[in-house]
This record gives sequence, C-alpha cells and structure tokens, in this order.
Amino acid sequence: MKRSRSLLFTPFILAACGGSFPVPTERLSSAEGGTRTAHELNAEGDPQAALHLKLANEQIEKAKAAMKNDDNKAADLLLQRASADAELSVQLAKGAKAKADAQAAQDRAAALRGGK
Amino acid sequence: MKTKISYSRSALLVAALAASVACLAGVAGCGAAIPPPELVAARTAYKKAADGPANKESPAQVHEAQLALDVAEKKWAEIPDSAEVKDLAYVAQRKAELAEATADTSLAMKQKDMSERGAQQAQVDALRSTQDQLTKTKEELEREKQRRADAEKRAAQAMADLQKIAAVKQDSRGVVITLSGGVLFKTGESKLLPAAMAQLNQVADALSGNNPDATIEVDGYTDNQGKDATNRELSQKRATSVADYIVSRGIAKDRVKAVGKGSDSPIADNTSTEGRAQNRRVEIVVGGGAAK
Repeated sequence: MKRSRSLLFTPFILAACGGSFPVPTERLSSAEGGTRTAHELNAEGDPQAALHLKLANEQIEKAKAAMKNDDNKAADLLLQRASADAELSVQLAKGAKAKADAQAAQDRAAALRGGK
Repeated sequence: MKTKISYSRSALLVAALAASVACLAGVAGCGAAIPPPELVAARTAYKKAADGPANKESPAQVHEAQLALDVAEKKWAEIPDSAEVKDLAYVAQRKAELAEATADTSLAMKQKDMSERGAQQAQVDALRSTQDQLTKTKEELEREKQRRADAEKRAAQAMADLQKIAAVKQDSRGVVITLSGGVLFKTGESKLLPAAMAQLNQVADALSGNNPDATIEVDGYTDNQGKDATNRELSQKRATSVADYIVSRGIAKDRVKAVGKGSDSPIADNTSTEGRAQNRRVEIVVGGGAAK
C-alpha cells in the first residue's frame, strides 16, 4: 500500500520538474544551421522555400525571446517548428534546382533531337 | 519517499480521488474533443504524402512524418486542449511536406538523368548519321569517279575507233574530225549515203562521250569546180544533213551548228583530181563553248 500511495505523487513530482526545462541550445543551433543551409541553397529564389525560411527565422527569433524569459519549454517547441520549416525550405530549394536542371537537360535533349 | 514527503493518509486519498476524477474527465473529453486545425492539417498532409509518389521515392521521410504525427496524436489523446498539440501537429505537417518535397526532388533528378541520357543518345545518333552520310558520300564519290573513268575510257575508245575512219586533228578551233565528201554523199547531192551513216554513228558516239557543253560546228566544203554560190549552197545542205544526223543520234541540238563554206579553205590542190576529192569534205569542229 505504501508503494502504491507513493506512486500517486509521481504526476506532481513530474509537473514540478517541468518548470526547470533545460535550455534548448542544441535545438537552437540545429535550427539555425538549417536556415543557413537553406540560405546557401538560395532558398530565397524559390517562393515556397523562401516562405518556410522566413517562418523558420521568425520562430527562431520568438524562441530566443522565450529563452530570455526562461520559458525554455515554449522555446523548445518553437525551435522544433523552426527546424521543421528550415528542413523543408532546404528540400524545396534543392527541388527547385533539380527541376530547373531537369528542364535544362530536357531542353538540351530536345535541341539535339531537333537539330538532327 | 515517506521521510521526504509527509502527507496524511486522508490527504493522499483525496488527491488520488481528484486525480482519478480528472483522469476520467480527460478520457471522456478525448472522446468528444474536436481535433485542432493543425492536427487535421497534419493528418491530411501525411495522407497525401503516404498516398503519393513519396511512398515510393522517400519512404524514410514518410515514416518520420508518421512518427511525428503519432506523437501529436498521442499528445492530443492525453491532453486534448494542450497548446503543445498544435506545435507537434505543425512539425508533423512539415515532415509530411518534407517527404513530398524529397520525392519531387528525386523525381526531378531522375527526369534530369533520363534527359541527359536522351541527349547523349541524340549525340550518338547524330554522329552515326553524319558517319553514315559521310560513308554514302564517299561511296557516291567513288561511283562518280568510276563513272567518269568509264566515260573517259569509252570516249578514248570512241576516239580511237573514229581515227580509223576519219582524220582527227587539233587546231586553234578545237578538235577537227574530217570526213571525206566522197564517202558521205554522191556527187552534187546532199543526201547521206548508207555507208556514211555507219561512220557518223561512230562520230556521234565519240562526241557524246566528250564534254557535253562543247560546241559542235559542222562545216561543209566543196572543191572549186562550178559556181561559187552553188558550191556554197551545196556545202550548206551537206553540213545540215550531217548535223541533223548526229542530232538524231543523241547530240543536243543547241550544241550543233551547220555552216556551208563552199570552196573556202582548201586543204589540197584543186588542180588535181585527188586534191579536189580531198577538198570535198565535211569537218566537224568540237570547240569549247555553247553553239549559238
């Protein structure tokens, strides 16, 4: 009985731990790394990639503000969102380049076929 | 635990009861709760990715999206009104979109590879076509060379044959083939003798083997016996007879011109019978330009 009673306290103890959420430095650097990569891949050149890069940057700024206010839990969630947006932006930028390359290759092939 | 936290038994029971009630209320709430728009969007995005090309092109990303969606669903089942559900659903939606974007990229790269292979094949085809054309041109050139050699050989043979029946010489006018008037015509006539036709056939063969643009002037000559006007008229008729005959043997009409020269330009002495016989002649002059 003693054991089962003490287990009843567990939610309260865990709830107490939530207040001291660790500073999400790793998530921050990961999200920032993602936006840097997206920028290097010229995400600004593709409307969809640019949109998600913008969202990622905005969320990183909000996360930094939350961290200043010691709201690490909120910052962590914002950074998860930012990372997901940055990652999507990177892929969309890659996709835009791949599509442009594919079109160029198709045009070259058509020109060669046409010039035969 | 007992030493660190000192709650009374009754307090524990109250807390346990409260927790149970809260838990039951939560479960009941889960059943009736409407999912937040973010979770609905995440589910839709995941379904789109899982049912689309991403299923084949980027299965790892689809799986990650599924895991992320599961986390959001679990959180929503536990605490339906938690703000965290929206964040987790947002992440799940992005991961599903990422799976689709990855699939798009993969397909574009495949398309690029295919086009590049197509371009390479087109280059190979073009090269092969050029080589084939070159081979054909070489063969055609070789055949043309052979045709020309054959034609020259035939022309040389025809000329050699011609030299057996006629005097052939080269002077300032061109190649001059001289045929004896006695062989071609009866005295005073301009109708060709049957024997003359055989000779003229050889002449025509020799001429057709030569330069097709060369002019051919058929000059008729008489001796100096009789009236000059009569001689000139007869020589014109004889030249015309020969010219018409060689035209009938395939020489282009516009290349051929007939001229009656009468007793002009004798090649032998008109005082002797033999000399006059030599002067009665037809000369076929093969020149360089077109006859007009």
